[in-house]
Amino acid sequence: MKKIIKSIIFLIIFCILCIIVFKVLWLDQTSIGCFYGEPQNTLDIINIGGSNSYAHFNTTLAYNLYGFTTGVLATDSQPLSAVKYLLEESKKYQNPKLYIIDLAKVGDNLGNIQDGQERKVIDSLKNSKNRIDAIQGMLKYTDVKKEDYINYYFSFLLYHNKWKNIGSINIIGNRTLYKGYLFYKLTVGIEPQETYEWDSNKRIELKQENKEVLEDLIDYIKSNQLNVLFVVPKRSYINNGMEYINTATDIIQANGYEVFNFNTLDDFEVDFDKDFYNYAHLNVWGATKYTRYFSKYLKEHYNLPDHRNDTQYDSWNSEYKRFKADYTKITGKDFNNLLQ
Amino acid sequence: MALTSLVFALFSIITVAIYFIVPKKIQWIVLLISSIIFLFYDNLNLETVVQALIILLSSYFCGRLIDKYKENSKKSKAFLILGIFLILTQLVYLKYTNLFLSTANHICNLFNIDYQFKFVQRNSLIGISYYSLIMIGYLVDIFRGVTEAQKNIFKCALFMSYFPILSSGPFIRYEDTKGELYGEHKFSYEFMCSGLVRILWGLFKILVISQRIGMFVDTVWADLNAYRAFFTIAAVLFFPLQLYTNFSGSIDIIMGISEFMGIRLPENFTVPFASSTMTEFWRNWHITLGAWLRDYIFYPLQKSDIMQKLNKKCKKIFGKKVGKKIPLYISMLIMWFAIGVWHGGAYTYIIGSGLLQFLFIFLEDVLEPISKRINNKLGINTEVFSYRLYKTIRTYLLFSFSMIFFRAPSVSGAINAIKSCFMLNNIGALLGRSNLSNLLNNIGLDVKDFIVLSGAIFILFIVEKLALKGNVRKKLFKQNIVFRWTVLYVLIFMIIIFGCYGAGYNPANFIYRQF
Repeated sequence: MKKIIKSIIFLIIFCILCIIVFKVLWLDQTSIGCFYGEPQNTLDIINIGGSNSYAHFNTTLAYNLYGFTTGVLATDSQPLSAVKYLLEESKKYQNPKLYIIDLAKVGDNLGNIQDGQERKVIDSLKNSKNRIDAIQGMLKYTDVKKEDYINYYFSFLLYHNKWKNIGSINIIGNRTLYKGYLFYKLTVGIEPQETYEWDSNKRIELKQENKEVLEDLIDYIKSNQLNVLFVVPKRSYINNGMEYINTATDIIQANGYEVFNFNTLDDFEVDFDKDFYNYAHLNVWGATKYTRYFSKYLKEHYNLPDHRNDTQYDSWNSEYKRFKADYTKITGKDFNNLLQ
Repeated sequence: MALTSLVFALFSIITVAIYFIVPKKIQWIVLLISSIIFLFYDNLNLETVVQALIILLSSYFCGRLIDKYKENSKKSKAFLILGIFLILTQLVYLKYTNLFLSTANHICNLFNIDYQFKFVQRNSLIGISYYSLIMIGYLVDIFRGVTEAQKNIFKCALFMSYFPILSSGPFIRYEDTKGELYGEHKFSYEFMCSGLVRILWGLFKILVISQRIGMFVDTVWADLNAYRAFFTIAAVLFFPLQLYTNFSGSIDIIMGISEFMGIRLPENFTVPFASSTMTEFWRNWHITLGAWLRDYIFYPLQKSDIMQKLNKKCKKIFGKKVGKKIPLYISMLIMWFAIGVWHGGAYTYIIGSGLLQFLFIFLEDVLEPISKRINNKLGINTEVFSYRLYKTIRTYLLFSFSMIFFRAPSVSGAINAIKSCFMLNNIGALLGRSNLSNLLNNIGLDVKDFIVLSGAIFILFIVEKLALKGNVRKKLFKQNIVFRWTVLYVLIFMIIIFGCYGAGYNPANFIYRQF
């Protein structure tokens, strides 16, 4: 008996040490940490997609303007094959009135894992059956061999090497701040854009696997009766991206879902010379224009509640205050000018 | 199924769990089933099944017949020869065909014959070199009356294929192991703890040290012309340590799993790098292979009629002292040649782990009286630490030199490496910018890897030093719980954090697995 107790204590200490070690090693790993941090059933909108989803829509500003809350399940260059699993994940914790799905990457090659897009999604998910399904569902479109899936099931197989980076600065910004909106020194930069393809009306047939994934996603949305709005963000597109989006738009609309395409709006204007910090992403001033326009649209078209006077949502006020303070700190400018 | 892979960990956990759950009488069946799964896990096809059956059936039936006719030495000898012939023929066919073809090509070149044999690819089962010799030993032991033939073919199959030893040994003998394999074992907390610590130590050696050294050694060996002198010498000197931590680490894992189940196997290493002569080194390195070859090749050769006759002739011609040594050296040469051949079908192995080892041991023996005389004349105290250190370093250097051939892809590659040791460095080109970080990055390691490697080698040194004075695990288990657990947690987390595994590393990089 004494030996059994000793073994159990040894294992408990081991587990505690594991949690501490893995937390230190994976400090900046999760891209959707802010989502899991929200109390259950407190998000009115869930925003799923690639980097545009966290760079264009300022969730704290939208809350300050209209009082609705938006959760962000966005990862860099998120493949379309991830969306179904992120919807499933968000259903476990939240009961939002609307899901927004970013269509910017609908035509991208699903097998391109050079930048680890799949990993960014999979590693951000909590351990569950859905995570296992996501690994199998997403990786089947890549050239990852089945015997290497183990590196995805057990993320520490890859990330234990991060001990080398402990103490180095997180260069991609802290994704647990500002309720999922990406704001740091890079997003206050200005890079004039050449407006590639954004206004193209042409259509290109989707690759077979992209079409399969899109149709599967639509089936999932239908069978779960989810309220979904597909969004095409304002930005430059390359490699026929806009033409794939147009084809996908046809498929989605044929299934009875709305596609909100910022590139076809006459009354939404961004300045391609001033409002981007790189080719695909709006800087803080562009994102403000985008957020003001889009949040107004969402408020008018969806029955979204106003939580601004609800103390349960105080964290949203404090994150907005943090954003305001950091805006002034990083840009050296008066925050009121941003909203003018 | 690599020993450090999660699949193997899971496989071992399931095997051990079932082993202790089932009735003790059928524990050996659990081992047999696991061994069959392990044997064919990576390589199940008709060809490999036939290979396994050839060895099993030849050793089982020949063993039974040798036993049956033990009163009739002619018949039993005939079945012994038949059994050995069948096993060796398959081994030679699978492992040494290309060696013969390569030799034939060299001969063709020598005589200007315009023909080259094409090399062939053979699909052989994991561990075939191990269990071929193990089963030959089994037949010889029955013939010698050391043991009796196993009547149950499935038990015979377990002896042949006991899964932990398939990848890296050690060599087991039927008489010593049968009780362990077929016996009933109760779960023991002490065995569990001791086994787990040994597994951890093996993982530490492989994942933290060996794989990390491999990053450097492989980088240098991949481009000897670029690295040259200092770097090649460093790679040559580090390779024995890489090999040792890799091989002995595998053995630690194998022994640990067996110990967990209460199965004791013979030791394969006893701090070899503390040896002061090559003879002593080989008593501490791959002990079970040395012992096998000694008992089944060297002694039978020494006792053979030919050697006895040669012994007499040599004594007549060269006198008693020198004459008796000649047949001994011939037997040794054959044994070392066999060790070289066993390591693989290539001249690099024959030279590196065979003939050069013989040469060093031969020279040590021949030069010993001269060395003693010089030491006496110069008044050198051979009983002091510094002298022993000199001899230990000398042994390490000799072994490192021989391992150039073991590591090289070909004999010409080995010669190229030796040349490279004496070429001047182009350090400037390697450095790019002259700083330590840049230098280390260019040799496959970064500064942080280098620091971790240095620390890990220091820990290895301390543990090996303690091992010279007795069983380190026993000493550890005598300590207070706080110290004991601290040591274990440090070891576990060093493996988890600093281990080279997972994406980007090849878990199948076991140097001795290929044999």
